[in-house]
Order: sequence, then structure tokens, then C-alpha cells
Amino acid sequence: MTETPTTDTAKNTDAAETSTVRLITTPADPGEGADPALAAAPAHARARAYGPLALGLTEPAAPGFVRLSLGDAVTSAPTTAGDAAPATGGPATSPVIALPAWPDGATPSILDEYGTAPVPVERSGETRRVLAACLRACWSDLSAEPWPGVPASVADVLACYRALIGRGDDMTRSRAVGALRRLADTGWIIRSGDVVRLGPRCATWPPESHSVLRELVRRLPGPQAAAGPVTLPLDASAPLDQPTPSETPAASSDAAHSGHGEPAAAPADVRPGGAGRDETASDLDKLLSAYDERRRAELVAAFMAVEHAAEPVHEARFAALRDPALRRTLAEMLARRGRTLIQRRDTWTSGYDDDVAARVAGAPGAGTRPGLSEGERAVLTLVLVHSVAIPRADGLLSEDTWLSPYPVAVEELRRRTLLPIGELESALRTLRQAGLLTQVKAVSEEAPGGYVPGPQFHRLTAAARRRLQEELILAAGPQTPLATAIRARRA
Amino acid sequence: MSPPSRTVLRVPQQTSRERRPAPPRPAHRRDTGRDPGPEALPETLDAALTDEAVLATYRRMFAALARDSGAVVDDPALVDIAETLFDAFAEAGEEWLTHEQMRHACRAHPTDRFESRLRVLRGLGAIREVFPKPNQLRYRASFTSVVGLMFIRRMMDDGGQSEMHRLLALEDLNAADPRTTMEEARQSAGNLARAFRLWALELITLTNGTIEELREQAPKLWGTEEIARRAQSLHGTILRRWPDLDRTCTELRAAIYAYSDASRRAAGRLADSAGTTRNLTLLPAETWRTFAQTASKERLAAVLDGFVFDSPAPWHDPAAIATAVDEAPRPAPVRPAPPRSPLPDAGPVESADGGVAGLDRLAAVAESTLGGRASVPLDEVLTGDWAAMRRVLADLASADLRPELPYRLRWSDAVAADPGGQPSWRSDGTLERVPTDD
Repeated sequence: MTETPTTDTAKNTDAAETSTVRLITTPADPGEGADPALAAAPAHARARAYGPLALGLTEPAAPGFVRLSLGDAVTSAPTTAGDAAPATGGPATSPVIALPAWPDGATPSILDEYGTAPVPVERSGETRRVLAACLRACWSDLSAEPWPGVPASVADVLACYRALIGRGDDMTRSRAVGALRRLADTGWIIRSGDVVRLGPRCATWPPESHSVLRELVRRLPGPQAAAGPVTLPLDASAPLDQPTPSETPAASSDAAHSGHGEPAAAPADVRPGGAGRDETASDLDKLLSAYDERRRAELVAAFMAVEHAAEPVHEARFAALRDPALRRTLAEMLARRGRTLIQRRDTWTSGYDDDVAARVAGAPGAGTRPGLSEGERAVLTLVLVHSVAIPRADGLLSEDTWLSPYPVAVEELRRRTLLPIGELESALRTLRQAGLLTQVKAVSEEAPGGYVPGPQFHRLTAAARRRLQEELILAAGPQTPLATAIRARRA
Repeated sequence: MSPPSRTVLRVPQQTSRERRPAPPRPAHRRDTGRDPGPEALPETLDAALTDEAVLATYRRMFAALARDSGAVVDDPALVDIAETLFDAFAEAGEEWLTHEQMRHACRAHPTDRFESRLRVLRGLGAIREVFPKPNQLRYRASFTSVVGLMFIRRMMDDGGQSEMHRLLALEDLNAADPRTTMEEARQSAGNLARAFRLWALELITLTNGTIEELREQAPKLWGTEEIARRAQSLHGTILRRWPDLDRTCTELRAAIYAYSDASRRAAGRLADSAGTTRNLTLLPAETWRTFAQTASKERLAAVLDGFVFDSPAPWHDPAAIATAVDEAPRPAPVRPAPPRSPLPDAGPVESADGGVAGLDRLAAVAESTLGGRASVPLDEVLTGDWAAMRRVLADLASADLRPELPYRLRWSDAVAADPGGQPSWRSDGTLERVPTDD
């Protein structure tokens, strides 16, 4: 039973390959070799699925990536990482990291201009304040870019945070630690044991926004401030703690020296220890260059919207989704990133191209890959069964989608499944953070709270949705004629 | 049509509450014959049936017995009355029930409905007089009708699959019974062949019809491998014992294969055409629940093997970070409490009391300070710690300010400083008693 789906999947995708490949190559300009651009698609898909890619020291990044090398500054990181490596995940401690680059310097902030909600950030205020504290502790030289900064101790970051919000109770501390974990999980910081440094995603802040951060860090109190009487740092008219380039490194290197062995080298350098940020050739430029400035902007906006909005976006808001010609180019842009457009009535979003997804999932070493753990996948399956399959079997759901208004209570998962209870909470947290689950608040006795499948299920292609249905049927009713039919069709 | 002329049959209303999990079945076995057919489907009708679907089943089941096409109830609620009555009879005991008691048991239903039902039930003999004599007031229920209800309920549950199981099991026993004649076996095999053929035909027609109808009806009609296996075993028994029945058995065999094939085809069409989640309907809710409750972590996780999901990648815009910092919840500033004397304090009420008691106390303090003298320097009396000193001083100052008391403080301009002492400086002062006129 465990063997069957795997081989079937492979066969399935083999069969689908012809159609998918045609889909990708058709829109490409015949005169222009589309293959090299498409060759990077699996790498882009991996980066989206598993976070920033780790590269070898001399390994070049694929087109469309920002290649970040930490240089000397990180030579100590792997050693300090040591035992704490699992906390940060494989790629984060690598000396060279690659992140997908956004076209034309756009960031997901562009969604605001279009009145579209970005992927929600869990406990966003708290998380961002902790990130500000990390910046305060790690961004030693304000004349340079924030990334890579210098390593700082967790204690320093927490002290900065304490000074920032003016409270030092246990709950504040544990929440800050939770925010640090979330930031580390999402590549905004790298945490190795007691040492924190800015993560690769901090290198994606556009240079023009650095002044905002610089201003912010200037008015934040340093870690020492937390020891004295509480002062509110937020009165911008009277910055209490103007860090000078010589002062901050001293503060953070005190801590850094202890657990770290290497002094925060040369704070005066723009990029300490030869750290580098290189953007490879843009993979989308050739597609975009054919358009005038306005259309180009529309394409980029639509690209960012389908890729980064929380929910599918309505085509009325995005010209590049309305206009079939622009949409075709958009589809090509997405194809280079291993993605495909997914339509549901008048709304659009993007998802993994079936072929690319199969290649990513079936890549060698897939068993040890990052991504969802076994427990997390089990919890997600349970939510799908309770929230979608059972209501559907009861005839309550009419729409053909994997989203559902019927939440499953945590109690149901805790009491009436074979899942180890210890894993449940953390699995729910991870799934929630990834948008795979949505928490529903209880509104009344009849409508108790719980979990439903999250917005990521909008991003499944029709083939993936069908396969998910089949896998569920194969797992729940392997003896049914339906399962027999599914197996027969796949064979 | 007048009510008594209607042949109305008593069937229970299937409600979702009454759905029961299917009975456990023996372990499934792969058929080693030429076509394995679909594997066993243990429970097939758990899907909710609408009223119309319930009625349709009623009509089909009793078509063979009905006198005319309007003979079956046209409202599933009518069946409730019969069921309520049978329940009441079961509880009544040997006394059975009077008309009034029956009416009371069915008080939830309107009178005219109850009466018309009762007429039908009596007309068909499901409810009879205890003694067949005029003006009989007590009634009893028929055991046969109750058993009929139970049978109908089972038919409703799985479209007759379990009946087919039982029938096959009984036929198997009969075929092995030495008393069974060849003619009986032939008849039995013929009946079964006919049933399987009709079953298969219905499936084939459904498979070629609209997908909606197929989706609605198919689960009831799908057979299980178990049924096909039993049928083949019966076929084998008959053929071994009466090789002469070869031809009848060939027909039976063909009917069984046709049924297996039709069942598999219907499942295949559903799987092909049912969208991306609708097929989930085709497993009963109980199967899903059982899966959720009994599957191991590995088995659950295996469902999502090969699916790629996005890792969380929230965006923290610099402006949003600055906003978050500006909007940080500010702790309420702590206000220091005013300093208080460590000595016991009588409290404001008493001290505000300017009455005689207050004056007396001040006079007593002043007198004890003077110790009989007319005047005394303050350095002499202000000794000890500052807390004690200031109390005395306060009392003396109060006495000084009371015109009705004869004590005054006289201060000079001199100041004695003592950085190490307590207090570190003091003015030179004297307390004196001034003579009064009276």
C-alpha cells in the first residue's frame, strides 16, 4: 500500500509530462531558447517549498536567484551552529544561500497598492518587533546594509526587545522566544544555539527602504537599556540611544565573543569578511522587456499578486490577469519559476506546475528533505478527512474544492486519533504558519472552533486536487471498488 | 381514491440518526478466478437519502405487492405513525391497546392522519382486534408486520446486499443438504442468475446514464467481492453435486461475471468523472471516521507523500516593522506612592478633629516637653531619631498655632549645621509658656 502511491504517482506524472511540457513550451518565443530559463524551474520550486537554497561555495545560482554568500563572516557559523543545526535547518547555515529574486525590484509590499491582502503573518506585531530587536542587535554598522550584519547573542536580542516594549515579564520573554522561532523558521534570522544573525530574507529588503530601518534602529534602545529603569524609546523627538558605530559592536560582540570565538570582524567594513550579494541574470527580464513601462508594471504586479497574496485575486484588479495576451506572458513568467496559473471563476492564483512538483517531490533524498514532517502531514490528512471528506460524505459540501467551512476541533484530533499528543500542537502551529491550516474561532455552541484547510489549498492544480482525493480514498478504503478503479487507471 | 382502498405498506423512515455502521464482514479474499472484479465494499449505503429517494425505494420494493401505482405512501412521515404504533404495542404488554391509547401514542400526528393510517393498517391486518367481535375496543399488532419492518429497514440500509449475502448463505446450505433435489437446485440457481443479471443490468444502465444518477444510486448497487465469491462457491457446490445442471450453472456463472464487471465499470466511471473532491462522497462517513481514528501516523502521512506545499515565507516590510515598533503596547507608567511615616497614624478623621480632646493632647505634649519650666530650648527636647523628632515638632508647632493654648515657639536666626547628624541642620528655637490673662 505504501509502495503503490509512489510508483503510481511517478507513472501519473510521466503520463502528464507530455501535456505539461507542451503547456510550457507553447507560449515561449520560438526564436528564444526557453530551455535554460525553464531549467531553473525546479530550483525555484524547491526554494519556494523548502525555503532558501543552500549552495556549494563555488556553485553558481540559477537564473532569477539572488546569491548570498556570507564569506568569512560565516566561517564561524557552522561551528557555532554545531549542535543547534536542526533548529535552523540545513540551508540556513550554509555559507552560500540562494533566494528567488523578484522582478523589477518589487516586493510583496506592492500588494498593498492593489488592496490585496498578503499572506498573513502570525502575531505580526510581536514578530516584527522582535525582528526590530534583532536588527538593533545585529546591524552594527548603520552605514552599511543591514545584511549580513554581525552575530549577536539571543540574550542581547531579548534585552533589546525588553527595552523596546518596556516589559520584562516571563510571558513577554516566552512570546519573544516564540517570535524568534518563527523568524528562524522563515529565514528572517539564523539562529544557532545562543547566537542570532540576520537571515537571508533580510537581504531582500530593497536598498531604498534601508533608510526606514536605519532610522528605526537609531531610535531603539540597546540591550543595556533594559537593565536600567524602563525608558520608552519611542519618543522620536528625543532619540535616547543613538548608537554610534563604535558602541553597538562593543555591546553585541561582548556576547558574541563568549559563545562564538570569533570577534565580529571589522564592523567598519561595508560587508564584513567578504560577504556578498549577487543577483544572477534576471530570468524574467526577457519576457518583460517586450512591454512598455505600464504593461510591464502590470505584469509584475500580477506576478507578485498571484504568488504572494493570501487568497486568489480577482482579475478585475489586475490588467495582466484580465488581458489574455498579458496573462499568457504571466503564465510564462510563472513557468520559469516552476509555477502555473490556477483559475477559479474570476479569480487567479498560482501553484506548482504538476511536472515540476513531481520532480521536486521525487528528487533523490526526498526522504530527508525539509518540508513537512511526518507528524505534520498526518495532522493535515486528519484535518482533510474531518473537514472535507466527512462533510462531503454527509452531503454538506457542494463546491468542488478542498476548502471547507466545517472545522475539526483540536479535541477530536487529540482524543480520537493515534497521533502522539506531543506532536500535535507543534504540527498545528507549523501548518497554520504555512497557510495549510486556518484556525476558526468558536462563535457559538453550534459553531465550535477548530481547524479547516488553509488558503494553500487554493494553490493546488486540478491534477493535484484529484490526486489528493485519490490518495485519500486509497488510504481510507483500500478495499473499495473505487480504490480498485483508481489503481487500475493508474496502472 | 378513498383511503381504505389504498394498499399502503408499512415501512420505517430512514433517518440519518438511524444509520448504522455496516456489520463486520469476513476478511476479503482475492479471487483467483479469471477476473478478480472489484474488491469487497463492506458498506455502501450511508449516504443521506432524500425523502424522494426513500419513497422511490419504498415503491420499488413493494411494486410486486401493490394493487395500483399509487399504493405506496407519498410522505415518509406516514411511516412514522406505523412505527410509533408498533413501539407502543411492544410496550403495552398483554393488555394491548385501546383506540384512545393508540391515539395518545400518536399524539404528535394530526387526528385525521392518524385515523386514516389506522384504517389502512387495520385493513391490511397489521393491527387487529384482540377478539374478532363487534365493538371490540382492544387491538393487537401483527408480529409479521413488525418483522417486515425490520426487513425493510435492512433493505434500506444497503439496497439488499446483506439480503443477498443471507440468501446465498442459505442457498449454499440448501445445496449441501442431502434432502435437496436436483429440481430445487435448478430453481435456486435460476433465481440467483436472474437476480444477478438484473442487478448487473441496472448497474450498466446507470453507468451509461447521467453521472448524477450514477453517483446517487451506485453505492447501493455495487456488490462486494464477497457476494461474488459466495455466489461462485454456491455455483461450484451445485455443479459438483449435479453435473447435469451444467447449463443452468453456466448461466449463473455468466450472470455473476456480468455483475462483477458492471460493478467495476460503474466505479471506474465515477472515479473518472467525479471532479476533484466529489468522489469522497462515495465512501461512507463511517469509513472516513474509522480511518481517522485507527490509522497510524505513517499511514496518515503517506497520503500527502509527493505533494509539494509552500514553506511559510511571510514578508516583513521595513515600513511594517517600523509601524509595529511604534504600535508596541506601552506599559502604564508606574506612579511612586507618596512617602508615609512608619509610625502608627491615627488617621485623618481624628487629626482633623479640632475639639477639646485635640487641644488637651497638644497641651499635654507641650507641658511634658516643658517639664514644669517656663521655657525650654528645642535642642534639649528634639533628640532621638528624626521620625520621633518631627512628631514632637509637629505637635509643638500645632500648639503654637492655637491661639487658645498658652504655648509659643520662638525661633532665632541661628542655624546649627551638622552634616553627619540627623537632622543635618536645625534652627535655634525655644518653647515657652506665655502667661494668660485669666
